[in-house]
Amino acid sequence: MTKAVPVDYQSTVKKPDDFDAFWDGVLQQVAAIPLAPEIIPDPLRTSEEIEVFQVFYSSLERVRIAAWYCRPTRRAEQIPAILLLPGYQADPPIPKEWALKGYGALSVAPRGKLRSNRQFNPGYPNLLTYNIVDRHTYAYRGFYVDAWRGIDFLLSRPEVDPMRLGVTGSSQGGGLTITTAAMRPEIRAAAAGAPYLCGFMDAIKLTHTYPYEEINDFLRAHPDSRRAVEETVAYFDGINFADKITCPIIVNIGLQDNVCPPETGYALFNQIHATDKQLYTYDGHGHDAGRYKHNAIVDRFLAQHLLSER
Amino acid sequence: MDQRPGDFEQYWQQTLDALAGYPACPEIDVLPLRSTDFATLYGVRLTSLGPYRVFGYLSIPTGDGPFPAIYYVPKYQSVLEVIPQGTANLQRSRYMTFTLAARGQRNADTPYAAMYPGLLTDGIDQAASYIFRGIVADSVRGLQFLLTRRELDPRRVVVVGNDMALITAALQPGATHVVTTPALFYNTAELAPRTQGYPLEEINDYLRAFPDRAEAVRRTLAYYDLWAFAPRLSATTLVMAGAPGSLLDAPTLGPLVTALRGQVTVYASEQSNYKDGLYTEQWMAAQCGITDLQSILSEHWR
Repeated sequence: MTKAVPVDYQSTVKKPDDFDAFWDGVLQQVAAIPLAPEIIPDPLRTSEEIEVFQVFYSSLERVRIAAWYCRPTRRAEQIPAILLLPGYQADPPIPKEWALKGYGALSVAPRGKLRSNRQFNPGYPNLLTYNIVDRHTYAYRGFYVDAWRGIDFLLSRPEVDPMRLGVTGSSQGGGLTITTAAMRPEIRAAAAGAPYLCGFMDAIKLTHTYPYEEINDFLRAHPDSRRAVEETVAYFDGINFADKITCPIIVNIGLQDNVCPPETGYALFNQIHATDKQLYTYDGHGHDAGRYKHNAIVDRFLAQHLLSER
Repeated sequence: MDQRPGDFEQYWQQTLDALAGYPACPEIDVLPLRSTDFATLYGVRLTSLGPYRVFGYLSIPTGDGPFPAIYYVPKYQSVLEVIPQGTANLQRSRYMTFTLAARGQRNADTPYAAMYPGLLTDGIDQAASYIFRGIVADSVRGLQFLLTRRELDPRRVVVVGNDMALITAALQPGATHVVTTPALFYNTAELAPRTQGYPLEEINDYLRAFPDRAEAVRRTLAYYDLWAFAPRLSATTLVMAGAPGSLLDAPTLGPLVTALRGQVTVYASEQSNYKDGLYTEQWMAAQCGITDLQSILSEHWR
């Protein structure tokens, strides 16, 4: 029998006073950079049912971001679209299964990931602590924007209905789902699994597994940097983005998650501003967060909000 | 199930002989950032077939050995981990651990950078030059290196991973235990068309683009089939099967289990990486005589 997880767990993270100003500044910087999308058919991966494309677009600091884009071969003039965000060490998959369900599906490789690492490559492990003492150059500053710009790519596609955009992912993809839903009001529905990047400084005490353990490694080597680290990650903590989320959202967590502690999942969920929100907890599950049961719930939730034409 | 190729032994003996032609020339550096009071981490560079330089993370517990060892063979992903995600860092206090990036993975991606998806079919129509011939050699070289370490208890050497764990332990003596989760190389020519999920979808993509190469692909895959390696493996083995009804569930893996020579346990996934992971940790601890497993589990698994 594992220990019970407190549902009212309070994160220690505090929102910096200039949190919004910081991100406004970042958004102003990226707005000045043309998206410059490229969409290249990939005949090897394309089938009768699904068209597959390699995609590239520009993001903060003009880093070129790679992605996979799939769409159903036979489709309506306008289709809903899903932005899929990857785990920390996962290689972004080709999202054929989403196209089979009727969506245009974009699977993004933010900077540093395979195919997006020519201009920025902090390595794994290392991404989580790359410039972690400076919010203006911290790895996740650009990484978050790379995910958000996936929405701009989808909006550039003539076949995508701009009123039917969703976002989903698990682990780091779950954390990115939170920040993307918070910062992109075009999103109509979000499904976040086992959200990482929420309660950074809580997590490093609650669990001692990688990737959060990278921060403990860093602090052991640089004990004088603790305050700078706390200050930086507060600007990137999903819990501090949660009050900006207004779209319908579901979150799932595993109560034996040893990677992204469930305590931080509760703390995040309690801060989400949306009124249409639902938390699914899975006892007996770890970082999978009950995926095999929960996938059908995600499918139904996204279909309800995105698949029916408005 | 494809027949074992007539020259199966020759194919792999030639691979091992060619590997033996290149000394490992290990280069070992302490990595202070990832070292703790209970374990020291080293970055290790080794020469493999090619010649090609590969990279691994070796962790050695503090204190007097010898220690049981876990060799985490190359995964099917671009990233190399110090220990697998979700494993308690304290595992490094009891076990020596060694993770290896084969050619193409990060830290071993010069000059060859693998693509995911893409690696599984790279050169698959030519068995002699298929990329996995080199990757298997890399994995074998990793085990050979680990076995040279004086801190290691040779009676407790666990090789853990996907298909590569079984293949490596079958080709290189020294593994006492194996934990294998078949994913890539079991009856692949027959099973791939039944899924649209990657990585096996890579095979489907490839054959859709190059249908005239189907027979060549089948021939190559036959050299890598776990069933063909099974008679060479006498280590005590835990086979992690998929959940009932999944592509690689226990009944599907039946012929493999029957063909293994050592003691075999088959575990059917409960589709929970808590339950599956905990079972694996308990199995390894029991095999290695570690009695206080609770103290090295991650907090949410205790």
